[in-house]
Amino acid sequence: MMFLHQLRGELRKLFARKRTYIGYVVFLVFEALLLTLWVHVGRDQFEALAKRNFVPVELLSSSLTATYWIMGFSMFLLGSIYFALVSGDIVAKETEDGNMRMVLSRPVSRLRILILKYCAVIIYTVTFVIFVGITGYSMALLAMGAEGGLFIWNPDMQILAIYPNRDEAFWRLFMGACFMGLSMCVVSSLGFFFSCLKIKPAAASVMALSVFFIDFVLQNIPFLADYKDVFITYRMANWVYVLQEQIPWARITESYSILMGLNITLFTIGWMVFQSRDFKT
Amino acid sequence: MLSVRNLTKKFGGNEALKGVSFEVERGEIYGLLGHNGAGKSTTLGIILSMVAAGSGEVMIDGVSVQKNPRKALRKVGAIFESPAFYDYMSGWENLRVLVGLSGPFDAKIAKEIVERVGLSKRIHSKVGTYSHGMRQRLALAQALLPEPEILLLDEPTDGLDPEGIKWFRDFVLGLREERGMTVLFNSHLLSEVEQMCDRVSIIREGELVYEGAVHDLRDDRPGMRLGATPPETLAHVVERFGGEKMPGGRWVFPKETRICEVVSSLVNAGAEVSEVTPVRRSLEDVYLEYSRLSEA
Repeated sequence: MMFLHQLRGELRKLFARKRTYIGYVVFLVFEALLLTLWVHVGRDQFEALAKRNFVPVELLSSSLTATYWIMGFSMFLLGSIYFALVSGDIVAKETEDGNMRMVLSRPVSRLRILILKYCAVIIYTVTFVIFVGITGYSMALLAMGAEGGLFIWNPDMQILAIYPNRDEAFWRLFMGACFMGLSMCVVSSLGFFFSCLKIKPAAASVMALSVFFIDFVLQNIPFLADYKDVFITYRMANWVYVLQEQIPWARITESYSILMGLNITLFTIGWMVFQSRDFKT
Repeated sequence: MLSVRNLTKKFGGNEALKGVSFEVERGEIYGLLGHNGAGKSTTLGIILSMVAAGSGEVMIDGVSVQKNPRKALRKVGAIFESPAFYDYMSGWENLRVLVGLSGPFDAKIAKEIVERVGLSKRIHSKVGTYSHGMRQRLALAQALLPEPEILLLDEPTDGLDPEGIKWFRDFVLGLREERGMTVLFNSHLLSEVEQMCDRVSIIREGELVYEGAVHDLRDDRPGMRLGATPPETLAHVVERFGGEKMPGGRWVFPKETRICEVVSSLVNAGAEVSEVTPVRRSLEDVYLEYSRLSEA
């Protein structure tokens, strides 16, 4: 009970800051822009593509497919910036501003302080992804109507799936958003880890993004294609498998176990560093 | 109530504390006096478990801070120089968040404390709009919640105007009167320590060079910086009046000495007097005196 009260306090701190909302605002603008382009520029091309491939047009140009595009193509590159920004700040900013001394003068262990902060960051990450999904779908509904199913085509992950039934398509996409949220927790864990070190908050965010993008670039180098499994970003992209008609649960379980292990490792090392630090003026 | 035993601490190769020990009795206001970098904040950091001691131990009401920090810190409230709050939240929200880390937040008690520190009207404003004095009052409120038995104050009056300093001093003295609060007061201002503390330690380069009652530190003897030529005449006349040369070119005379008589004697002896400046004993003087004593 006490933990929940303290977590509420941590979330209050996080969501009382204006910069926490930058990501939300940017994504709303981005979603509106993408849908406008979809409706005014892309629709004809999608229709032509559908006809060429004998796919029903209402599948390819539907609100659910548009939502999949918004999430699938923007979250890794754009969302990761905001997760790194918030998680990089969460410990380092308080240390830099001097708030941490006020916190540490209280009878609470450093481990508990970090668990509270980590939980707050994870909640932010998962809810952010779901927020993008919900607002993306709502805007797509307004722009394109409720008709149509879901068409998934992801050559990198070798997935082609068609869901003509709207209800099934919706729940698959919702499940996809939840798994994507879990994937993005890795970026937040990276930011959190760097935030525990004795560095500036901006440096923590930049370091987290650097690791993430380096991994992403390496994963996409053709001669490293056989080693894809060792890259974090490849494992993170496994969320898309829940959209496959026959969900490969073994593969998903393996990838998310590895990601969870990575998150726990990053948290543990961050905690050990934080525990050994001296906090002075 | 607070026992600091043989603390040492190194930062890199620099020895910040060299075996600092002192005891603070229950209900006592104890001053830790020293210049910036002397080791006061490091000592406070170790007491609050924010800084790991190289060796030594701190006990708060019989509980070791090193072995059981959570239990030990339950009885502690702390205020730092330039307290840092979450500027984008109100004072009340800050209290909620910070006090919530110690246990359940009792709004009724918090309201009483806020009223007591005189912050009721602005407690729901954002802390970013507070003056330094108001921040210090908020810091005092958070330190007094839930109900500490010992207050650790790290240069709390720095940057306050004279009115704010007086208010703060009276408030802390009032707490001791009413609640028997024990206070450890870190400062580099001798006058502050003199007016508030019962006992004092002087810390210099990580070592305690003095520990004792504040009244023993007081030097009510007239102090004077004298300039006169020839210097032999000056020394001769001053010696006749029982003057004692202190570090920093300061002379102190027995209590009953009338300085005008000293100056008149100098003139009569043919000396050319160039300076007669009354000098109050500064922290520097105290340092130098006790350093000299400790060296001796």
